[in-house]
Amino acid sequence: MRPLRKGAVLIGVLVASAACGGASSPSPSAVTSPPADGATPTPPPANQAKAGGTLVVALPGDITRTDPALIDDSNSSYVMQQVMEGLVALAPGSTSEVVPALAESWTLSPDGKTYTFKIRQGVKFHDGTPLDADAVVYNYLRWKSFPTELQDYSYYAGAVFGGYGESSNVASVVAVDPATVAITLKSPSSSFLLAQTLTVFAISSPTALKAGKADNTELDISKVEYAQGGPTAMVGTGPFKFKSWVVGDNVTIEKNPDYWNKDATAYLDAIVFKPVAEEAQRLNGLATGEIDFAQTIAPVDIATIRANSELAVIDRGESCNTMQISINQNYVPVNNLKIREAIASAVNRDYLIETFYAGLAVPADNWMPVNTLYAKPLNLPTYDPERAKQLIAESGETDLTIDFYYPSDVTRPYMPDPKGIFEAITSDLEAVGLTIVPKTETWRPDYLDDEYAGKFEMWLLGWTCDWSGPDNFLKTAFFGYVDGAPSTEFAYRNDELEKTMNDALAATDEATAKALWEKAQDLIRADMPTVPLINSTPPAAARADVMGFVGSGGLNEYFHSVWLDR
Amino acid sequence: MLKYIVRRLLATIPVLLGLSIVLFAFVHLLPGDPCTAILGQRQTPAACARLRENLGLNDPLYVQYLDYIGGLLRGDFGASVINSKPFFDEFSVRFPGTVELTVAALIFAVGVGIPLGRLAARHAQGWIDGLVTAISLFGISIPVFVLGLVLVLIFGVTLGWLPTQGRIEARAGFEPTTNFLLLDTALAGRWDLFVDVLRHLILPAIALGSIPLAIIARITRASVIEVSNEDYVRTARAKGLTERRVDDRHIMRNAWLPVTTVVGLQVGGLLGGAVLTETVFGWNGVGRWVVDAIGNRDLTIVQSTILVFALIFLIVNLIVDVGYAFLNPRIRYS
Repeated sequence: MRPLRKGAVLIGVLVASAACGGASSPSPSAVTSPPADGATPTPPPANQAKAGGTLVVALPGDITRTDPALIDDSNSSYVMQQVMEGLVALAPGSTSEVVPALAESWTLSPDGKTYTFKIRQGVKFHDGTPLDADAVVYNYLRWKSFPTELQDYSYYAGAVFGGYGESSNVASVVAVDPATVAITLKSPSSSFLLAQTLTVFAISSPTALKAGKADNTELDISKVEYAQGGPTAMVGTGPFKFKSWVVGDNVTIEKNPDYWNKDATAYLDAIVFKPVAEEAQRLNGLATGEIDFAQTIAPVDIATIRANSELAVIDRGESCNTMQISINQNYVPVNNLKIREAIASAVNRDYLIETFYAGLAVPADNWMPVNTLYAKPLNLPTYDPERAKQLIAESGETDLTIDFYYPSDVTRPYMPDPKGIFEAITSDLEAVGLTIVPKTETWRPDYLDDEYAGKFEMWLLGWTCDWSGPDNFLKTAFFGYVDGAPSTEFAYRNDELEKTMNDALAATDEATAKALWEKAQDLIRADMPTVPLINSTPPAAARADVMGFVGSGGLNEYFHSVWLDR
Repeated sequence: MLKYIVRRLLATIPVLLGLSIVLFAFVHLLPGDPCTAILGQRQTPAACARLRENLGLNDPLYVQYLDYIGGLLRGDFGASVINSKPFFDEFSVRFPGTVELTVAALIFAVGVGIPLGRLAARHAQGWIDGLVTAISLFGISIPVFVLGLVLVLIFGVTLGWLPTQGRIEARAGFEPTTNFLLLDTALAGRWDLFVDVLRHLILPAIALGSIPLAIIARITRASVIEVSNEDYVRTARAKGLTERRVDDRHIMRNAWLPVTTVVGLQVGGLLGGAVLTETVFGWNGVGRWVVDAIGNRDLTIVQSTILVFALIFLIVNLIVDVGYAFLNPRIRYS
């Protein structure tokens, strides 16, 4: 079955065939070599895939905890999505295509409030206990009722469920029969299903949760053994099993020979995830073979990697981030729409993409990437310095001085060289007559604290998606109100937009949701509160004999299909 | 002697207590709080307020301090705000890494530095002396991270002789028990991995040991030359003793003292230099951990690590002082 695209979030019935479940047959050509040198090696066909071997994967940092519900970082999530599964998953290579996983199928009630999931039968957790409706309910109720001490670490449960306990938007989670779970919301939420693809909503073995003190009775997270590694941790249903975590050094997972989906049994015997913070070290490790696969590399290293026939650059395809010039409307002259339009016209995005992203990015034409659910082209201004000058003249502003900030000591997936990008943009802005006062602060804690507190007039910042839905970009990342008022960071007031976004989230049918989200985009476009610049696809790199990898702009990447041609 | 050691050990208590107050004050003077570190771009005023409350950051400073000291007395050194691991869970993994690296660097620095110094002293003012002086100048001048990167590029990437990062081959899947990997691999009878761990140690040890090596060589040279001019050395030679005997019994015996002092002091420097070396070689040690913790405002980890390090430093100093007594019978402590 071809899983539904985009609209799958609101589609009622999705019947799954045996081949589904986020498990496609391996595609050996997924590791792409550069077109530049023309030396693309022809990978052997899938039926030549070899089983066995250990893959060493370099991540930018260590995992934080081994309990999927108590993480909110991408390193932990990246490891766990190999071991743990939720009711639904994202199709390999996609950022928004929902496919069955532990749920074979699901329906949504006409009022948009009740999701009924058919639980896959015959699935066993890694500890040998069976998956059934009760196990699913146990997990969901645990997340819903996290005590306040643990809520600091369960960002997504709080965000997606709209709070905890009685104040949660989740009214009930019940086992209708051993193979059916019904989740009822108080009010419809069109992003609910897509959000269930997040690793944090992976189903753990209730037996292991209880053994690891992860049953909401232990309030001190440092004593929740399920979160701290060790034998009871990370017990899921996935194609790999958790083996060990040596903090700061590695997380090792090994093949699950009893995986329920025989079409997606892992080829590899084991994967070792190593935190390698320095980009140069990842490159050295790849070159010497100490590392097989680097999850993230700096775009500036692409040329070096392409020059080495033993290595390959991996283009992830769809973007799931947005980099923008953020603006706070409490400051003059950036509170003037014409000035903001002028800034949008003044920046040469193509130059930035070629210089800092090695071409692995596209100019942003929206506040969310083009493949996001309901995203539409907004015809944002393109590079036109003459128009920018004209807009500035029309603006009536006399003081054209702008304090402009960039973060130091950091690179972000959407911003590989903050200082370089900042300098290029500054020179573009000064060329059209604006006076830029360059400012910088260290990323943590100063930059994030001060931009959030509204101390910046204009600054560089972006967002990497949690899920590829419009709410995650437009509302969560950017313009949603905080505690009923415009956020301190943007100080952008548009009550109609706020209402439209809330209505869109609560829409019970796809057509209404689509119409409302498109209206929201038009409202934002009209005000141009910030200036979106770029959607990038951060590259990965691997040894050339690493086959079968399917990249995803949202880092939803599954290693069961990966094999070593050695 | 025993009384002296006990007294010195007791004296560490007020030192550590004073240090803990100063540390606590400094750490809490750092701008920013862990909210940004934990919640990043997802922070909201409500979430930050809840976090501060749960972490006890809303209490008055003296209450926080007393809580912290109370915890220390119960053996509870707190937990990281980043991965919520209890301090010793992570310290016990990372500290052995730093110890192995520091000891290896010290062995390299002493093992090469002292013979170099003696060689230079014996041929004082000659070309060998000049060469040794040049080497030690080079060692002192070149920053650890530059030397580290150069070593990695030459011996790791280009020649492929030695590994470029980490403490052990990742694919080996070795599960350590004490995290002193040389010990663990030996106890497990995995001599192939023992050799692998040694190979991983070579480049970082050379990078980290270069500065102490240079200093030790210089001090040894100076000390040997000074002692060589003493009357008793001339007397020894006049008695017709072999040059070797003069060297071992009369010169080096007396030249050891300043060298020992310097070696002891270098341990502190090595622990400091370990931060850079650990970063360059992806070494899972305490140095990198503390630097990350400072950036993350992981205050508990910063405080506890520095306190434990201070304790170690005090003990090393004590060992050095006691060592004097063995090296020089004229020194007696009471």
